[in-house]
Amino acid sequence: MQQIVSKSYPKRESKIIANNIKTQVPAELSHWLTLVAEQRDKQAFTALFEFFAPKIKRFGIKQLGSDAQANELVQETMTNVWRKSHLYNIDKGAATTWVYTVMRNASFDILRRIKAKNEQNLGDDIWPIDMAQDELQGEEDNFGDHLMEKQMLVYVNTLPEAQQAVVKGVYYQELSQEQLAQQLGVPIGTIKSRLRLALSKLKLQMGEDYHD
Amino acid sequence: MIKHHPTSSVLRHFVAGELPVSVAVIVASHVELCDECRAAVQLLTEQAAAQAFDDTVMGEALSGLQSDTPIEDDEFFKAFDFDAATVSDITGSDAANMIESITEQSALINSALAQTVNEIEISGTRIKLPRAIKSIALREWQGLGKLSRARLALEDQELRASLLHIDKGGSVPCHTHKGFEITLILRGSFEDEMGSYREGDFMWLDGDHTHQPVTKEGCVCLTVSSDAIHFTQGMSQLLNPIGRFIY
Repeated sequence: MQQIVSKSYPKRESKIIANNIKTQVPAELSHWLTLVAEQRDKQAFTALFEFFAPKIKRFGIKQLGSDAQANELVQETMTNVWRKSHLYNIDKGAATTWVYTVMRNASFDILRRIKAKNEQNLGDDIWPIDMAQDELQGEEDNFGDHLMEKQMLVYVNTLPEAQQAVVKGVYYQELSQEQLAQQLGVPIGTIKSRLRLALSKLKLQMGEDYHD
Repeated sequence: MIKHHPTSSVLRHFVAGELPVSVAVIVASHVELCDECRAAVQLLTEQAAAQAFDDTVMGEALSGLQSDTPIEDDEFFKAFDFDAATVSDITGSDAANMIESITEQSALINSALAQTVNEIEISGTRIKLPRAIKSIALREWQGLGKLSRARLALEDQELRASLLHIDKGGSVPCHTHKGFEITLILRGSFEDEMGSYREGDFMWLDGDHTHQPVTKEGCVCLTVSSDAIHFTQGMSQLLNPIGRFIY
């Protein structure tokens, strides 16, 4: 299988000359974030962690004022990056902007936990991290069966991860089975059988009369 | 056409996450309605991100809160190596453990299971609520004449956030604000001595302003206030308990 993520960091540009605004942000950030979203790619995540963690730590010390809380911010931000990466859309903005949003939201919620003893996370409601949300707002009325749609997603999320990836790829991202096979680096037969398995499980669940 | 907006300094603090929660909520609600401010917020967020993550951006000095990591750190650009202590205190094995424990988790698809309220019905019309308050509980509606109010269950020290509904032809007697009052119109319109305001308008008033809002068609507002309003005219002073009611 071809490994797409380079293991090493991009070679550093020649020494940065003062007043020459040359960015140090690796161009691959968005690509890594997309790999995490689409393939749960741990190597890509490690590369993201390596780049962002020290900077989040710095931001945390400034905003939250203690080393322990700054560490908590790193943990919480990077956890959200891993778990919510599907909300990032490479066509709509830089990875840095999205990660900043995730970090600021986590920082805001941590501060509320400390100051107001309030456990409710409001950050993501105040500053949406779902880049598709604005579009969805308009489209929502077109879904005749919105509830069904949502219920379906709940079922889909109970599937094993490999099957989830295939179902979401085919039905939510509208990828062809060939594209998925290529993306996930598995034979097309594997995609087909995962899809079959997943669909029969979903049918079973949809047929059940009770929900726990 | 929205005419009244938060100042750019308010937007900057909003982007930095430095506003009190109820103020952040009302600014976010305006931004959701206002294309102009949404574009400004996007730009400010990009700038803030560059400042946080791009070391070549001339950001502010680290004000003495220097971590062990120098800003210009070649470590970032070496092949990944856990032995390189790139993060103060998040040492090699800590970082490895953190990455390990994070990547064991599955993706978090926003399920529709969270209790959220997207719209409410007020005197016969359905009103779409701002996204920012969808997870915040509303307390009982309380009415007084043409005024009714539902508080947001949002603990924010001395600040109070509410939904306020003024029925057709209603007004709030002339008053000043002891602290400040932010109003965002979600539906309808009102006028006062200073002008007229419609859907999406965001007004930040403080103790310097005296006004008497009147609404012909009725309105629903999101409000945040820091202190009771104070009625300023003869008979209205008898109404000062209402001031506490509105606050």
